[in-house]
Formats: sequence, structure tokens, C-alpha cells
Amino acid sequence: MAARNSTLLFCAIGFAALAFAPLGISSKFYLDILTLIFFTAYIGQSWNILGGYAGQFSFGGVMFFGTGAYASSILVNSFGVPAIIGVVAAVFAGAVLALCVGYLSFRSGLRGSYFALITLAFAELLRVVANSLEITGGGVGLFLTYAPGLQNLQFKTPVGFYYFALILLAISIAIAIWLENSRFGAQRVAIRENEDAAEALGINTLRRKCQAIMIMGAMGGAAGTFYSQKYLYLDPPIAYSVHLSVEMLLVTIVGGMGTVFGPLIGSLVLHTVNEVTRNFIDTPGLSLIVYGIILIIIISYLPNGLIGLFKGRGAKKTDARQGDGDA
Amino acid sequence: MSKIIPHLGGSRRRFIRNAGATVALASTGLSMPHIAQAAGAVKIGLIHPATGWAAYPAAQLRYGAQMAIADINAAGGIKSMGGAQIEALLGDSQTKPEIGAAEVEKMNEAGVHALQGCYQSAVGLAASAAAAKYNIPFSVDVGVSDKLVGRGLSNVFRMADGYGRIARDASAYLGEINAAAGSPAKTVVIVHEESEFGTGTAKLLTPALAERGLTVVDTIKHANPTRNFDNIALRIKSAKPDIIMPINYPGEYVLLAKTLRQQRVDFMTSFSVLGGGFNFKFIDDMPEIAENMIDVNHWYDPRSASGQAMRKRTEADGKYFTFEVYCAYMSIMFLADGFERAGSTDKDAVNAALASSTLEVDFMPYDKTEMVNGQNMGSRAVAIQAQNGDCQVVAPSAYASSKAVFPRA
Repeated sequence: MAARNSTLLFCAIGFAALAFAPLGISSKFYLDILTLIFFTAYIGQSWNILGGYAGQFSFGGVMFFGTGAYASSILVNSFGVPAIIGVVAAVFAGAVLALCVGYLSFRSGLRGSYFALITLAFAELLRVVANSLEITGGGVGLFLTYAPGLQNLQFKTPVGFYYFALILLAISIAIAIWLENSRFGAQRVAIRENEDAAEALGINTLRRKCQAIMIMGAMGGAAGTFYSQKYLYLDPPIAYSVHLSVEMLLVTIVGGMGTVFGPLIGSLVLHTVNEVTRNFIDTPGLSLIVYGIILIIIISYLPNGLIGLFKGRGAKKTDARQGDGDA
Repeated sequence: MSKIIPHLGGSRRRFIRNAGATVALASTGLSMPHIAQAAGAVKIGLIHPATGWAAYPAAQLRYGAQMAIADINAAGGIKSMGGAQIEALLGDSQTKPEIGAAEVEKMNEAGVHALQGCYQSAVGLAASAAAAKYNIPFSVDVGVSDKLVGRGLSNVFRMADGYGRIARDASAYLGEINAAAGSPAKTVVIVHEESEFGTGTAKLLTPALAERGLTVVDTIKHANPTRNFDNIALRIKSAKPDIIMPINYPGEYVLLAKTLRQQRVDFMTSFSVLGGGFNFKFIDDMPEIAENMIDVNHWYDPRSASGQAMRKRTEADGKYFTFEVYCAYMSIMFLADGFERAGSTDKDAVNAALASSTLEVDFMPYDKTEMVNGQNMGSRAVAIQAQNGDCQVVAPSAYASSKAVFPRA
């Protein structure tokens, strides 16, 4: 209970500070970078719900992002629906797709690498389908009109998108806190630790895993709307890019899987490393090598992610205090 | 609730120290874009995919742009602004639209007066839309999507052609070459990459070719990247087309050409449209495969003295004279002319000057510049053919440096 209260207090202070940050940050570039950090942390958290908490690794998480992006963009472009309503459709589309993929995969008993690969296959399948359909614009893609306004979820300055991303991030962290402190979340962790034992204890694993992937799908759908409204263009290689699937699991693994703040820490560190290497190293490509080396170091020495640094210190202090008491 | 296993031992302190240093570097690095500051200079941001699969064309684009900047500065800079020198700010889109847009934000912070980019249309769309929010003049050096200049953004301009006009010209050139040879070709297979560039061009070509009496018997789409064209080559072989028409990026273009050779596919010619890999490097590396292949693309005017001089300079620097070099050069000249006529860096004035540009580019086979909705209507792509280890313009006849070898020898 004390841990939950301190987490909530930390979140409240953190988000209050972030909400006022645009008042102190005059640089629109920094705000844009922060927006990208929040966005990546958000999609990382969506992967974390299924991969980190429920132990179901997915290599095709981008499918929900792409489907959500297409759902809202088609509604906006073809039916004149405001994007603020389109985002609801995107969430719904992501969740329904997740239910279909989850039910088919989990019911067939797919686990571990098999589940990861089937999600990758679904994402590829959707990319090919999006490439072939008229309604998605095929390979030509969809162009959205620049029309700033809250109803269109488009903003004249990066500040609007900063708050949009911050709200998404707050929602994702609230979901993660709820998972950490609810019976619902405990059941997912039980599934992650030993699915057979969880089933023997009476947990309906199929149902719980489907619920987890639906949360991931819904979150991914909203992320798709954010992207399409910010960049105003969508085509199949963007919508179903393997790169985004990798990025969402990378930030979570680097930050710390199955933790509330892991994806945010991972996103913050990876974006920072990327920006630093890009800004300090002139030779094209060398920045990626440095980026890769830093990643290898983090993954080699911190198997629980960067958050393990803080948890490890806390645990050691607690142990020390207990040791003093014992003495 | 999550399982945490402390696993650092003695290295933890060192790691924290290093991580702290990284964060400190980050805060410094974010405020230090690569700019050589000088008072009163005109800053032009160059956004290209310097890292990633398009690093080579990006390097060529940077080279061409920087050559133009050096030439303008050496000639006295922007004279109407008291000889103001031009500075290049280098940006790397990493082939990602969101990074391209972020680079615009960074360069805007750095006080950029104009932008140039981005090679990939998808990145150009995002970056030019971001630039539009600040009304920053944006010149597309290479990027063929017609949407780049067709969205009503008054700050976006393109000197070279888009795929709409190129597809129209390509079908006309093919019709012209085929007719001159007695119309031996009747059928075409189009092989295109799957993004907007390939798909959009292929869509326009099919009806345009039909008007020239050529039937498209198959249209084959492939992903980016594609590492094996065996199945596609077999599919082409079974369709038995007279002409194969590739529309793709450099890596896939070269690989397809090699695979067609290995699979001994018989056809009259490869007539590519915006074939990313058709250049002097390809002709040097694979002369037998390249011989008599035709491409419709941005190309310099080989009859012009300045074009030949630029080619010599580029080759003297150990680089190939690819279309990226002179397209980037031309794009910088266009921007510089805008600043010259505006007499200031005021964005509205520069955009107005660019929109009314009548610049004559003597090293390109272009008419006088005439901007309509940001597109230069005086531009044109030409058909080029590999002949005896060199590259010759074979259509339109007004700019031809040689007669087309068709069907191939």
C-alpha cells in the first residue's frame, strides 16, 4: 500500500511538472523531442502490458498502431469524421483486431517464440492487405489535410502535440499502476511466471491473455491516430513498420519489463542517446554504431533494464537496514 | 510485483557515472546543432537520410548542395544582401518521417532561413508540412511524390519533375523509340517498389502506355528491401514481355537487373522509370548488364559546358556524377536566386520570390523556370541509355546526344 501511494505521489508530482514544462521550455525542438519520448514510452507501455506483465512477447505490436491509424484516417478523409471521434474508432479497431489475433493465437496454444512470430506474420499480412486496398490508398497511402484545431487533433505548435502525447502517457502509466495493484494484474503475472500453474489455480488464461492483448491493441490504435494527425501522411511501410515493433519492445526491455516506469525510462535514455550520438558524431552511420554499443552494454549488464539500478539500490538499502536491526 | 534481480556488482557505480555523463552530454548536445555560426549569413538546412539504407544517395545530395554553396560563396554570396554567405546546416532524417519533422524543429530553433530535402517522399511530406507551420521556404531537391507540391502549401517548391509528369514523358519517349524501330515491342511488365513512388508511377504508366499501343501484361509489386528477385524473374519470364519496366530504389534496381541476367530472361530492353540504381556507378560496376538499358530520370544536359564541367569536378573528387548531385546543386541555386531577388531573409518575401522564379538552369535540359503550385513546369526528365560504358541521352530528340539502341544489341 505504501509503495502504491509513493508511486502515485511520484506520478502526480512528475506529471504536474511535465504539464507546466512548456511554460519553462521555450525551445520547440526540445518539446518535439519530449513528445517523441512520450509517444515511444506510450507504445512501449502498450507492449509492456502484454509482454512485460503477461509474459506474451509480440514482434508485431505495430499492427494495432497501423490499424488504428488507418481507421481514424479513413474516417477523417472519406467520411469527414473529426479526428477526435476517429481516435475512438481507432481504439475500437485496435482492440477488435487484438481480440481476433489473440483469440486465434492463444486458443491454438501458441506461446513464446511461436506467439511472437505469429504476431509478426499478422503485421506483415496487414501490410500487404493495406498495400492492395483502395480504401487505404494502396501503396500511394493516405494524405490528411492540415487543419489545426482540437476537433482535428492537429495543432499549430508542438505544444499541442506535447500535451496530446503527455495525456496518452498518463493513461498508459495509470493502466500499468492499476495492473500492478489489481487482481487482474496479479493474474497476468501468474500467467507470465507459470501459465500451467496459473491454469491449475483456476485462472482462465485464455480470457486473461485476450484481455491483455485487447488493452495493448486499444492503446496501439490511439497511438496510430496520434501519428497520422501529427505527420499527416500514412502508407503501409509506415503503418506496419517492423521498426516500430522493435522500438516498442526495445524501450521496454532497456527500461525494465513488467514495471510501471520501465518504458518511459527506456524511451528517455534511447532517445537521448540517439540525439547525443547524432549531434556529436559527424560521420554518417557511426552514431548508430555507438548507439548499438550502448544498447549492448545496457542489456549485458542490466538484465532487468535500467530500472533495475534503482530497484537494486533500494533492495540493498533495505537489506542493510534489516541487517543492522538483526545485529 | 515485477521480478527484479540485482546484477551489477562492482560495475554499477561506473555505469551510473557513465549514464550521468550521457545525460549531461545529452543536455549539451541537444543545444548544439552542427552549425558554423557567422553573423548575417543565410542559413539553409539540408535534411537527408544520412544514416540508413539511403545513406549513399544522401551523401551525394549533401555533396551537390555543398558544392553549390561553395560556388555561390566564392562568387560573392547573396549580392543583394551585401554579399551574405550561405551556411549549410546538416540534418539526418534517418529515413524516418518523424525524425525528418524533428530536424525541421531543430533547424527552426537554429534560425534557418530555408530548407532543402529529403530524398524520400514520405519524409519530405512530413518535413515540408512541419516547415509550413513556420512558413520556412522548402525546396525539394529529390522527391517525386506529386503530393509534395500539390497540398496548397505556399512554402514548398520543386525544381525537378514529379512522377506524374515523368510517367507521362516516359510513355511518350518509349512510344517514340519503339516507333523509330518499327514498333517491335507490344507488351510490358512493370516491376515496382511498394511505396507511393513506385505504386503511384505504375498506376499512371499503365493507361499512358496503352495510348502508345503497349499492353501491360503484368504489374509486379515488391517490398523494400527485397533481397531475392528469383521468383519475380521467373514470373517475368513466364509473361514473356517485350519490355521490362522497373520502378524502384537503387539496391532493388541493381539486384533485379542482375537476377534477370542470371535467370536468362529474354526481353528487348529494360526501360526503367526513375530507376534508382541507373547511374555511372552501375555502368562502371556491371557494364555488361547495364549495356543498352534505358532509364527515364532526372539528368543533366550533356551538351552544356557547365554540365560537363560539373561532372569533371565531381569525378575529380572521386565521386560519381549521379542525379542527386546536380539536383541538389540546382535546388540550392534556386533558393539562392530567391534570396537574391527578395533581398532579405524575410520568409514571405523569399517565398514570393521563389514562386515567381524564372531561373534558367543551363546544365539541365530545362526550359525557363515557371512555378505553378510549387512545381517547376519548365523541368523535364529525359531517357538515358548505357552505351559503350557511358550514358547517353536518347530522348527527347531535342536533347539527344545519341540514337537509341533498340531492341538492345
